[in-house]
Amino acid sequence: MEPQEDCDVSIAYTVSWMDRTIVLEQSSAAATAFHQWPTPPAPPPPGPRCASSLPPPVSPSPSFPAPTASLSPPPSPSSASQPGLPPPRPPPSPSTTSPSGSVDPAQLPPALRDIVGLFQSVPEERARYKQLLAYAARLPPMDPAFKTDANRVRGCVSQVWVHAEPEEGDGGGRCVRFHADSDAQITKGLAALLVLGLSGAPAADVASVPVEFIELLGIRQSLSPSRNNGLLNMVNLMKRKALEIAGDAGGDSSASQQSREPLAHGVDNKGSEFAAFGMQEEEKPVAGEEEQVEEVTDNLVEVNGSSLGGGRKERMRESLERALSPVELVIEDISNLHNGHAGVAGSNGETHFNVRVVSKEFEGKSLLKRHRAVYDVLQDELKTGLHALSIDAKTPSE
Amino acid sequence: MAALRCCFAGSSAVGGGFFKPSSRRGWCAPAVAAPSREAGPGSSLGERTRVDFPVLHQEFNGAKLVYFDNGATSQKPSSVMETLDEYYRSYNSNVHRGIHALSAKATDAYETARRKVANFINAADSREIVFTRNATEAINLVAYSWGLSNLKLGDEIVLTVAEHHSAIVPWQFVSQKTGATLKYAGLTKEEVPDIEQLKGLLSNKTKIVVVHHVSNVLGSMLPVEEIVEWSNKVGAKVLVDACQSVPHMPVDVQKLGADFLVASSHKMCGPTGVGFLYGKFEILSSMEPFLGGGEMIADVFPDKSTYAEPPSRFEAGTPAIGEAIGLGAAIDYLSCIGMDKIYEYERELGTYLYKSLISVPKVQIYGPALSQADHRAPLCSFNVENFHPTDIAEILDLEHSVAIRSGHHCAQILHRTLGIHASARASLHFYNTKEEVDVFIDALKTTIDFFTPEH
Repeated sequence: MEPQEDCDVSIAYTVSWMDRTIVLEQSSAAATAFHQWPTPPAPPPPGPRCASSLPPPVSPSPSFPAPTASLSPPPSPSSASQPGLPPPRPPPSPSTTSPSGSVDPAQLPPALRDIVGLFQSVPEERARYKQLLAYAARLPPMDPAFKTDANRVRGCVSQVWVHAEPEEGDGGGRCVRFHADSDAQITKGLAALLVLGLSGAPAADVASVPVEFIELLGIRQSLSPSRNNGLLNMVNLMKRKALEIAGDAGGDSSASQQSREPLAHGVDNKGSEFAAFGMQEEEKPVAGEEEQVEEVTDNLVEVNGSSLGGGRKERMRESLERALSPVELVIEDISNLHNGHAGVAGSNGETHFNVRVVSKEFEGKSLLKRHRAVYDVLQDELKTGLHALSIDAKTPSE
Repeated sequence: MAALRCCFAGSSAVGGGFFKPSSRRGWCAPAVAAPSREAGPGSSLGERTRVDFPVLHQEFNGAKLVYFDNGATSQKPSSVMETLDEYYRSYNSNVHRGIHALSAKATDAYETARRKVANFINAADSREIVFTRNATEAINLVAYSWGLSNLKLGDEIVLTVAEHHSAIVPWQFVSQKTGATLKYAGLTKEEVPDIEQLKGLLSNKTKIVVVHHVSNVLGSMLPVEEIVEWSNKVGAKVLVDACQSVPHMPVDVQKLGADFLVASSHKMCGPTGVGFLYGKFEILSSMEPFLGGGEMIADVFPDKSTYAEPPSRFEAGTPAIGEAIGLGAAIDYLSCIGMDKIYEYERELGTYLYKSLISVPKVQIYGPALSQADHRAPLCSFNVENFHPTDIAEILDLEHSVAIRSGHHCAQILHRTLGIHASARASLHFYNTKEEVDVFIDALKTTIDFFTPEH
């Protein structure tokens, strides 16, 4: 079997996976292993990982088993020292997510890593699609109450919803559990794959999953962040929701250098994510396609047309000054750049701002946390017509 | 049959020369491949023309490509590609202002292309053809340039729910800026736009009526001549979106009587990046510019400028010169075959598609039934009960190399009116064949099975 047909994966990973696939062949379960659910995994080693004390990270339905652990590389003993993160590696260099899209699978939450491995061990695209359909068939139906606009994934021709809720993991870490549904089978399969791969993982891990893993699946999904890219948008939505949950945890106490390193990588994704919804903002209806930018992100409450009329800049300044005692604070109203697109129709400007804050309060905080801090301070504005912020948050020394 | 033969027997590249409209020789570009062996007097238009379209001759995983997404964009014959190549190789040059020989050649070819477009739709004068980027830009041009100056609070814009987004959204901008309102005619039970309702919407408040000629989803055709008559009575202008008609049938703007008509090159076997607006000269002459810049001015001073006459007034900056010339070559190719021949063949093929598709169990096709319409375009938007169109389209592509479209086809309002989120669409062009339709139908049945057992 050639697991690496159209996937760009680091060599070390290839070698380990080739071992696995040979094993599968010898057990003559290769063909059937794919269509049957493999045996449930051996329990992962104890450690402050959310999944450890729980049954396989799936819904209560017993017909939705977990991916096999027999396909996962054995976790290294030192993984127990961190809250659910992969074994310590050197700080992520740009090469781990090179433009060609290769990503180190060790960076992925274990369940997702297993799924990626499973897909890579399948030679034919057709069979991978069959696998997606199998996932779809077993995804438990989603509570209709969760099929809200805030849970809707943009960019899918089909309707897709993703709901996230926080979950206590071992050691008090914040984990995230996902539910998803779609009216199209293949999309449902993709959503199920993501639910399976990400549910039960620490929220911070999910928030920093490198989206490039999509390419490893070998199912014709691209990484181009166009608004039509359903799978990418699904992943990004799940990451955003996980980020919220992680942020709400507040006590990100194990802010050790090490745990922040992978997150720093995730932060790059964050940057691109903020850019992504910034991109959503700037997208105007062109070329005959009507763009319904009714909803920026579930973080920001969508309000059509009801702004508190004037003075937003002053209020923002006041709140930020009170909360962060900034050394420098520049607020720029760039709403006029966004006039006329569907999302702000009816509001009187004051919807988009550039904010630059230099404050001692940011010392020791990751970029993620700094942005969260600013958003938290401006909650009221976000509820009353403020659409988007472009934040530059530095410490005085930077 | 000489006219047909000139297209298929292999012609010379449309060289970097001046076109002599009177001589048909040397117009049609060569078939890159030799005509297929089956090409004999009995073979269909599809079979005979396919050789001219290199992109159609490819396979994915051993299955030949069946390209049924022509409503989204059409394929290009070799002659068009060679024309583009020739342009860039031998006489690429900026148009209109240059003095040198290359510029003169390019200008000539560009303006000849404009004349070809004018002749193709029987415009009175080539100055009534404005080259744009595509039909969407052309509609925006009318909205910004004519709409903003001529509409005000209380005025009405009449459309149908079946319009393409490009015909709706620019008028929403105009409505927001001027206070004019949009009124929509709905569908009848036969799933065609309700003409009587549209007529009823017309009043002396109506200033412009924006309608498609042929619907890209329903396949139905609107009686544009009548709509123009009624609109003239109330003093309203008419803009016709002819994207799905110009490539598939003879279109005569004198007969239609519309004030504005738009189409895109890429849907009529021409390159992307160019399209056109037809507008009656008096109206164009009264319109403010759309984009400002070079080419569209007469004199420029620091505080103001004067503008050129149409069509230059609406063609700011360096145009898509090569592409416009390529559009001209596409028009040559189509004219070579004859738009009425294309229409006849596609009518037959479209009927075959409809009948074959409707015979697949649980298939619902949107738009008028064959019996109910004089005209059904060679396309079918459909759904299979209990299946999402995207699933169907993905597997058709993956397993069978059949390319169709799934989505709302830039017609969300129409889909909501029909009560659905999305549909699949197979849309044909004259280089498709009955055999391909058979492959599609078989593939569809197999695809439905793909989803059914383990479901």
